Amino acid sequence: MTTRTSFGGADLARIAVFAALIAVLGMPPAIAAFGGAVPITAQTLGVMLAGTILGPWRGAAAVLVLELLAFAGLPVLAGGRGGAGVFVGPSVGYLIGWIAGVIVIGLIVRADRRRPTILRTSIGVVLGGIVTIYAFGIPFQAGITGLGFGPTFLSSLLFLPGDLIKAVIAVALTLALWRAYPRAFGQTSRRPQASSDTVTSVNESAPTTPQA
Amino acid sequence: MISLYRPGTSPLHRMPAGRKLLLIGVLVLAISIYPHTLWTLGIAVAVVVAGYLIAGQGISGLWRQVRMVWMLIVFTGVFQLIFVPWPAATITTTRILLVILCAALISLTTQTSAMLDAIERGLTPLSRIGVRADRIALLLALTITVIPVILGFARDIITAHRARGVRPGPRTFVVPLLVHTMRFADELGEALVARGLRS
Amino acid sequence: MAGTIAFDRVGVRFGEHNALSDVTITLTQARIGVIGLNGSGKSTFARMLNALVLPGAGEVRVHGIDPSAEAARVRRIAGFVFANPDAQIIMPTVAEDVAFSLRGRGVPQAEIAARVTAELEVFGLSALADAPAHELSGGQKQLLALCAVLITRPELVIADEPTALLDARNRRLIIDHLFSERVPQLVLVTHDLDLAARCDVVLRFEDGRLLEHGDPAEIIARYSEAYA
Repeated sequence: MTTRTSFGGADLARIAVFAALIAVLGMPPAIAAFGGAVPITAQTLGVMLAGTILGPWRGAAAVLVLELLAFAGLPVLAGGRGGAGVFVGPSVGYLIGWIAGVIVIGLIVRADRRRPTILRTSIGVVLGGIVTIYAFGIPFQAGITGLGFGPTFLSSLLFLPGDLIKAVIAVALTLALWRAYPRAFGQTSRRPQASSDTVTSVNESAPTTPQA
Repeated sequence: MISLYRPGTSPLHRMPAGRKLLLIGVLVLAISIYPHTLWTLGIAVAVVVAGYLIAGQGISGLWRQVRMVWMLIVFTGVFQLIFVPWPAATITTTRILLVILCAALISLTTQTSAMLDAIERGLTPLSRIGVRADRIALLLALTITVIPVILGFARDIITAHRARGVRPGPRTFVVPLLVHTMRFADELGEALVARGLRS
Repeated sequence: MAGTIAFDRVGVRFGEHNALSDVTITLTQARIGVIGLNGSGKSTFARMLNALVLPGAGEVRVHGIDPSAEAARVRRIAGFVFANPDAQIIMPTVAEDVAFSLRGRGVPQAEIAARVTAELEVFGLSALADAPAHELSGGQKQLLALCAVLITRPELVIADEPTALLDARNRRLIIDHLFSERVPQLVLVTHDLDLAARCDVVLRFEDGRLLEHGDPAEIIARYSEAYA
């Protein structure tokens, strides 16, 4: 989408499909699979997975696409929320933080193309999926509610246990997906602009065998 | 996917999406930035209620929107009461509710397709810094197309689990869903290229 | 008139795996069937005709175009139909999806609308023009996919098991369209030997090699025998 990174067809497909997946994780069938727990759990889990699976830029694009659709009036956020109203409420900072958080997760977890390790995935998910998201969410919330940083920070601690559980699940799912379908992590046809007309097959560029 | 749009013929429905975004954006800013007293807040309430009536949503439409955000409002209100005296807490909580209700008017009176067009037009000037509005518009359309497919995967997995007597949990549900989804992404990417997507 | 498809000592590797090796053949027939087991290289062969897979060795020419050098150009003349109807739909509604095919081809807006209307009529999808694509049945989705290919008036249609997921009735509809005069040349990858028998020539792949090609009846008979 920028001159620096040009997304090809395989990238566009992954971005769109993952945006759709995050949306679906906020819908009834997914919520049921999580034992009817607070819907927000499954959806922010999807945000974390966007970073670990798609990597920083495609992952961030997927979250941005989801948020643009929400802004356009589609109820794609957890529990059927959506519309312009979501973007003027106290939680808007968390939505911005999702994008920044995915980039941080992707940069840490996918720093090289090797197998994601427990340690690095955990660090990435906690720093990106919790610390970064809160770092954007809390200041906006403090500003909009006028309560100041301290009290807002305290109130956000209520959500910390849930977010930690989510982070643990995200790490487990990332490693499980690596075993089940390593191709999901493949870099697709990111290529320099100069040769934008050439094609790299999806099959060709995705890792065919997981490296131990 | 059913959007939040509610069909109608009100002046707000007929207003072009771009202009409506600007108008309501200014209103939202005014309500959020203006240092409110209970009096000026009353005026803001009147403006928002009038907005819903003009948009043909009625008081019931307004109430539906309030119900959608009640958890957020209660949460905000309770925390306000812990830290500030009640008049200030009331003003802030009401202001937040009003701003959300006001912005929701955009979604209630604008078709998703018109919003998507407005987003594409709004992004077009950013082409100078390398943002490809047409590409983002395609991504948005593609995602709308794909959501029902992924939702279908989710339903299939739940059904298959039931049939086998497996209790779906995060792992037994999400891993197959991810595998289906990423496989599908590869097929879709191939079709996008085959159908002539230009880089 | 069918154009010429030429492979000259073509090979493709995916990592350690030889997907296709040393394929040399020249084809001018209008109906070309491709058979072989899963993983035999037949899908890779088909994908090379549309620049979805590029040769690692050798040369490919599709109607005189080198896919390695001019991927966009070869895709303008060669349409592709995949097995999974869901994965081919890009735009939210039926008419929008068909119109998507004409994007970036320099077709004026008014003509796009007229051609979409006409094409939907041919495929019996007119009543569904504004329906969300996902509300279609599997067979209707595959008809939509083929409709979206034929609206571009392709010189060549490549179909990779286009009927694999369809019921008998929809299978019949898809085949009728594929074998109609609107498809000047067809490369049909299929497990359906009755269908392969209707072609002018059949190619049989095995372990990444073009094992044999020629008269459909003979090739199919030997293939059936080998795995009977």
